[in-house]
Amino acid sequence: MIRVLPMTVAAAMAIAARGVARHADGQRARSLAAAATAGLIGLLLLLDWLVVAAGLPASFELAGIECELERAGWQRTMPFVDLVIALLAIGLAPVASHPPRTLATILLTIAIAIAFQSLDEPITMSLLWGASVLLVARELLRLEGRASAVVRAFRRYQGVSVAAIIVGAIAFASGNPTFGAVMWLLAIALREAILPLHGWLPLFASRAPLGLLVALVAPQPGVYAQLTVCGDITGGALAHDFAIFAALTGIAAAALGVVQTDARRAACWLIISQTGLIAFGLENASLVGRTGAVLSWQVMALGTSGFVMTIAALEARRGTLSLREPGGSFARTPRMAVAFLLLGFASVALPGTLGFVAEDLLVQGSVDEYPLVGFAVVIATALNGINVMRSFFVLFSGTTRHTGEHDLTRLEAGVLSVVLAVLLVGGALPRSLLSPEHPPTSPSTPPSDH
Amino acid sequence: MNDPTISGLITTTLAAPTLACAALALPSWFGAKLRERVISGIVGAAFAVAAVASAAALTLLLLSGEPLAHLSFGHWFDVGHYDFHITLIADHLSLPFALFVALLVGLIGAFSRRYLHRERGFLRFYLLLALFGASVELVALAGSLDLVFFGWELVGLTSVLLIAFFHERPKPVEHGLRAFLTYRMCDVGLLGALIWLHHTAGTTAFEQEHAPWAGITPVADAGAAMLIGFLLLWASMGKSAQVPLSGWLPRAMEGPTPSSAIFYGSISVHLGPFLLLRAAPVLMQTPAVAWSVIAIGALTALHGSFVGRVQTDIKSVLAYASMTQVGLILVEIGFGLHYLPLLHIIGHATVRSLEILRSPSLLHDHHHLEQAIGRQVARAPVHVDKLLPRAWQPWLYRHALERGYFDGLLRDFVVRPFLAVWRGFDRADRWLADLLAGRDPESPPPEERAGGAR
Repeated sequence: MIRVLPMTVAAAMAIAARGVARHADGQRARSLAAAATAGLIGLLLLLDWLVVAAGLPASFELAGIECELERAGWQRTMPFVDLVIALLAIGLAPVASHPPRTLATILLTIAIAIAFQSLDEPITMSLLWGASVLLVARELLRLEGRASAVVRAFRRYQGVSVAAIIVGAIAFASGNPTFGAVMWLLAIALREAILPLHGWLPLFASRAPLGLLVALVAPQPGVYAQLTVCGDITGGALAHDFAIFAALTGIAAAALGVVQTDARRAACWLIISQTGLIAFGLENASLVGRTGAVLSWQVMALGTSGFVMTIAALEARRGTLSLREPGGSFARTPRMAVAFLLLGFASVALPGTLGFVAEDLLVQGSVDEYPLVGFAVVIATALNGINVMRSFFVLFSGTTRHTGEHDLTRLEAGVLSVVLAVLLVGGALPRSLLSPEHPPTSPSTPPSDH
Repeated sequence: MNDPTISGLITTTLAAPTLACAALALPSWFGAKLRERVISGIVGAAFAVAAVASAAALTLLLLSGEPLAHLSFGHWFDVGHYDFHITLIADHLSLPFALFVALLVGLIGAFSRRYLHRERGFLRFYLLLALFGASVELVALAGSLDLVFFGWELVGLTSVLLIAFFHERPKPVEHGLRAFLTYRMCDVGLLGALIWLHHTAGTTAFEQEHAPWAGITPVADAGAAMLIGFLLLWASMGKSAQVPLSGWLPRAMEGPTPSSAIFYGSISVHLGPFLLLRAAPVLMQTPAVAWSVIAIGALTALHGSFVGRVQTDIKSVLAYASMTQVGLILVEIGFGLHYLPLLHIIGHATVRSLEILRSPSLLHDHHHLEQAIGRQVARAPVHVDKLLPRAWQPWLYRHALERGYFDGLLRDFVVRPFLAVWRGFDRADRWLADLLAGRDPESPPPEERAGGAR
């Protein structure tokens, strides 16, 4: 089955990435990448509208190959979300730390994620999983050198992840779905940095360009794989154990985020915590919990990515961002400060944003099945909020010393406006994002209504 | 009752401040510079409209003889069996409170126009004031605990941002973060209560049974009712600075005086009692919770009264006076009273906000008074000296100076152990990550070797 629209978008991104990589001027490369991504978002929205307006058939056959224009239900928004992630990762990427080849890698990584999320065949999915890891590893090696600890950690952890997903895919193909699912869950846990398999991510977040971090982590191919491939098989004890591990990750990472002394690591633990909570929600038997987890994924993809990229933009102005003592001025960079706060809080369930809806569904859905863990998830969200507020106060207040940094550029403001609009409008009108006719559950397992 | 006029008026009460927020936020995000007169005009007009609408709704409700009116906006979102229903409620609790909030926020807005003239954060103050007003109106008019939580969280956020209003000074920021920590940990109680209500009762909607106004539907299971009651009490304790979580309140006075008046003298600090008034059916169902409310309220009243006597600045004195009165209001609620606590809230909030607004002119006012009467103002008699045994007085004095040791106890037995444990985990995690990455755990981290992170 080929999904025409997502595959077209992925192909167009890959072509754009080639063009971007050839540029010598970082500024122009970034403008080109941002324009290409913005154009693709516009094109996708237009085509999507045309599909609905013209009432085109959802599926058709082309030269003997079964084709579908786009996925239905909750999966329909995924290419759009991935493109907005790309826009964030590029539009707010500092030129100094994101040379043209890094920008091209970001585009390619997200193109692969879009392609991955339009498939449901394990072998091809595992190959794409491996391709994205290879791409990022190559770029990291180029930037950091072979002797770097982050390169070694990334290779070791993600090497196991790629091996596990390929072995799992072979197991699926050879009729051993339980072993396949176990291997895929291992790969997902490594990629999503579920405790105790998280060791590579804090190192990666400390050293790698933040745009690359966002491109690798935010599209969350693991979430998709967990829902579409493992969903049927990992029922019962395995799902329960994975959910408990994921929830513990969410809670422990939230607490660890509060004690960090630099902004990158604080943001990294926020990502790990959010990812853990999403993985926990996906293993819920309840439709409400699963829907909340999928929505949380989309919120995290936009809110937390925006939060991380705002740190990247601020770092380009000020250098290393320590959280040991206050060192910024709200008055100098008011729009950047507001964006930082809103994006951070949107990802930790600020009322009025899409994050609130996602969190509400996630907690309400999980409390029947996991009453104690459900309450613990609430505490994790509270701690994540403290992490965001502490980072905000330390980075944007508390001193009269100013380094003269400027507020958001036009490109940065434009990108952040789009993301904030999606989170706020989505928060006001969430029903359009919750597709009752195609709930986030695998077709063969009817979801429980609890 | 579902009167379309009352429904329209309630909607207006909530919509006017919300639109004021949008009218201030959107242009400033896109770089427009608004004049001070326009900013204060928008906020003033919004709350004037809200005050008129809520007064009219209250009059119509009283004339109709009906106890309450419901206004349903349908489902905000729904999945499976779960739905988030948006319902507003007009009753003898919500409308007086909504009217009072609109009047007070409008007055504070008018006062602040001169007080904050040419202040760099003028727009920020008014934006947060409008957002605060809209959030409190939502808490007041909410027809379910879900909606209360929505407004409750936003009240906390605006409160913290206003404590840290003078963001270039470290102390306001530190105190803002402290308040946020308390709010956030106590909001867990409210969220936990509403989750458990959904789990056990299937709804968080307020219904009117025997009380003079609508409240949380009692839960059949006594254990669940007790859990929900204690969670709601925990939520109220944080927002209303009840012992032992009271330390943030005097520190919150670092914000601009008008915001101190509206938050910690009048409205925000009374939201805890307001929530407990809505939770009255659950309190009456579980005597253990009701007695806990009384005990915490009484302890806070005593604590506030003693500690307030040794404070050396007027804003701290007023903060502890607020705490004392809110403690007494909790005692009234614990005893199952309804209209007395409501009147106490409105009366205390009015007097206290006036006192806080006048506090920067305290010496000036004092001189004026002495000039007018032609002699020194006599010191108020201190009855407590006569009532307490002499042997207790030094101990109590020390206790008051140390603010009841609550701050120290929380710091030493909650915050520091928490941070120590997780810092230990963090160090262990870094060590393990280094080991797995093949780096010598004893060598300095890469960012230090490279002279800073990328």
